[in-house]
Amino acid sequence: MPLDRKIAYIDLTTGDIQTKPIPLDVRKKFLGGRGLDAYLLYNHTEKGCDPLGPKNTLMVSGGILTATCASATARTHIMAKSPLTGLLGSANMGGFFAPEMAWAGFHHLVIKGKAKHPVYIYIHNGEIEIRDARDIWGQSVTDSQWAIREDLGDQEVKSLVCGPAGENLVRFANVMTGIKNSGGRSGMGCVLGSKNLKAVAVRGTMDIKIARPKEALEYNKRFIDQIVSAKVNQTQGALGTPFIWGATNSWGGIRTRNFQYNQCEYADDIEPERIDEICEETMGKYHMTGCFGCQVHCRAQYKIPSGPYAGTYDEGPEYTSQGAFGGETDTPRAITVLTGNHLVNKFGMDNLETGSLISWAMELYELGIITSKETDGIDLKFGNDDAVIEMIDRICFRKGWLGDTLADGGIAASEKIGKNSFNYLIQVKGMSNLHSDERATPALALNSATGSRGSDHLRSRPAIDLYHLPEEVLRKIYSNPVPYDGPLSSEHTEYIGKPWQVFWQENCYMGVDCLGICKYHTTFLGATLPNFEDWSKVLYYNTGLEMTPEEIWDVAVRCNMIERLFNLREGLARDDLKKGDMLNHRYFDEPCRRGAIDVVGRKIDKKKFIQMIDEFYEHKGLDNNGVPKPETLKKLGLKNEPSHLV
Amino acid sequence: MTTEKEGLSTAESLRKTRTYGKFRCHNPTCMERIQPEKGKKTAKCPTCGMEYRVHWVNPNLPRIRGPVWDTNRKLAETKLKEMGVK
Repeated sequence: MPLDRKIAYIDLTTGDIQTKPIPLDVRKKFLGGRGLDAYLLYNHTEKGCDPLGPKNTLMVSGGILTATCASATARTHIMAKSPLTGLLGSANMGGFFAPEMAWAGFHHLVIKGKAKHPVYIYIHNGEIEIRDARDIWGQSVTDSQWAIREDLGDQEVKSLVCGPAGENLVRFANVMTGIKNSGGRSGMGCVLGSKNLKAVAVRGTMDIKIARPKEALEYNKRFIDQIVSAKVNQTQGALGTPFIWGATNSWGGIRTRNFQYNQCEYADDIEPERIDEICEETMGKYHMTGCFGCQVHCRAQYKIPSGPYAGTYDEGPEYTSQGAFGGETDTPRAITVLTGNHLVNKFGMDNLETGSLISWAMELYELGIITSKETDGIDLKFGNDDAVIEMIDRICFRKGWLGDTLADGGIAASEKIGKNSFNYLIQVKGMSNLHSDERATPALALNSATGSRGSDHLRSRPAIDLYHLPEEVLRKIYSNPVPYDGPLSSEHTEYIGKPWQVFWQENCYMGVDCLGICKYHTTFLGATLPNFEDWSKVLYYNTGLEMTPEEIWDVAVRCNMIERLFNLREGLARDDLKKGDMLNHRYFDEPCRRGAIDVVGRKIDKKKFIQMIDEFYEHKGLDNNGVPKPETLKKLGLKNEPSHLV
Repeated sequence: MTTEKEGLSTAESLRKTRTYGKFRCHNPTCMERIQPEKGKKTAKCPTCGMEYRVHWVNPNLPRIRGPVWDTNRKLAETKLKEMGVK
């Protein structure tokens, strides 16, 4: 049964390892994946602990449905206190790791302490050992995984690793698995590096007994049909996630030259269709691949067509790499995007944070806030492709003053640079914004400001708000599984009703993260994709756990609240520009200069924006300071936290 | 365990609202449905005048590849001038 997968507590300082079952009442409160990780983080991490110290606790998990007959349950979740933000650190990636960990007997790992020298953890059919990784330390993301397979004599071992960026304590280093599956944002790879933990390797052949296999398979056929018939997934399967960047750039929602423009003009060479052509030219017609149990196949395979890395194989690029190394830096050349994407994959470094910080430094350079003295003579002007590629390497290896400074993240860098540099840093809670520009879309701006791990598109973004769906369709989606009779608007430039949409999406994404399903299989980019009602059935058929859609919603609300509690304990304050739910002033002061006619001139109305935050807090059961009301905690069964139930 | 309403969940029931062969204009106050001629590489919004380059994912699934850049820039600069934005 999926419910018999265990939790393991591993202390890298002492070498102590304990395994325990996960009690059913805990499952019913937090399900698994990100939700249960949030509970574990809150309970097993001391307030104010050093994110790079041995007391920071690192969680690794699969969802409650991982490796069952449910579709697309490939997601691995990683959580700890973030060395980038000092608040919640959370990362989620696809691939094949989490299912293998479930077959090895585990759904959750709780890793504490710091090893004396580089090690990796090996988990095999219920057994756990800590192994020497001194010979693997220093190797790239892909080479590390092959070295571990070699060490264990098993080519089927799946590993999550930190690359050189994590070892060098770059504060936005990723955890990686496979070639390009990235547990990105918030620096979870840096936490691995700080613990001398090079990798977690898993291999499992333990069966997972499905509660109602016939119904599970039959229902999954329906689920898959719903997924693959959606236009958005047909497009993803053909063009990969770059189509998202292309569509967003078309209307003027892509931040360019840091935040000076909202559209990367004449970007034909990095549009998804062009990237697809290069993939086909270098890898053949069938160049799309996918994660465990997924039918969408949104991941492209390519070889770099020219330049110093010509012929090098990689995967992607995701839309985030188009934004990071094409739009933000105003270098819309495929070769730069594909090379930049390759380097961050190889180093295990967050593409969004890297591209954002380089583009921020470019703006500072053009303003004279930093000069060629700080750049070691690099001409850090927008549009300089060579400078972008050079800076990626310098950040990973902390080369030169600027490379080392940016490797500590935007806020620390702005404090070191001084001279008003912070005003140009596009971030929330210390994490750089996605490459999107939300000045014309209040709902997306609200989601960026209030995301639990910092500015984020994967925690509460109502992306379907952009589709101009009729109000009756919006009401069907957003009044389920809990009733909502407040306002809703089809206009994505409006403020009305948006806080509810953001709140609903926050719970939808938490739900899917607890189950372990990919977000492309829920109400993220497609309005007709499965959510709470459908999950109730999938959960029942696969695990035997009977939960109504409303109960799954309650779990999601509870888990989001635990994340909020963690952030509040670590210093989140509503209007704090460095640790709060607030956007950079440029959202309110500088109008959009490009894009569709009626995007031009738009900016966020600060008064209405603050009203949206008030309303969002109300939906969440928070007071005006963003702190949960006592009755909210009571209702969610959280008033006795930390409770140390597991 | 919930019972299925008419056999379909809300997400499944919304499937009938999907449209094929069309896309919406990207101009936020327009959002007109545009139906490009099959296989054609450009389309113009009949309502607001935005011009788009079109890509066909498959013969029934067109998408906007991007705006026609020169038209796009001209319209933006005119609008900025009207608004007095430098």
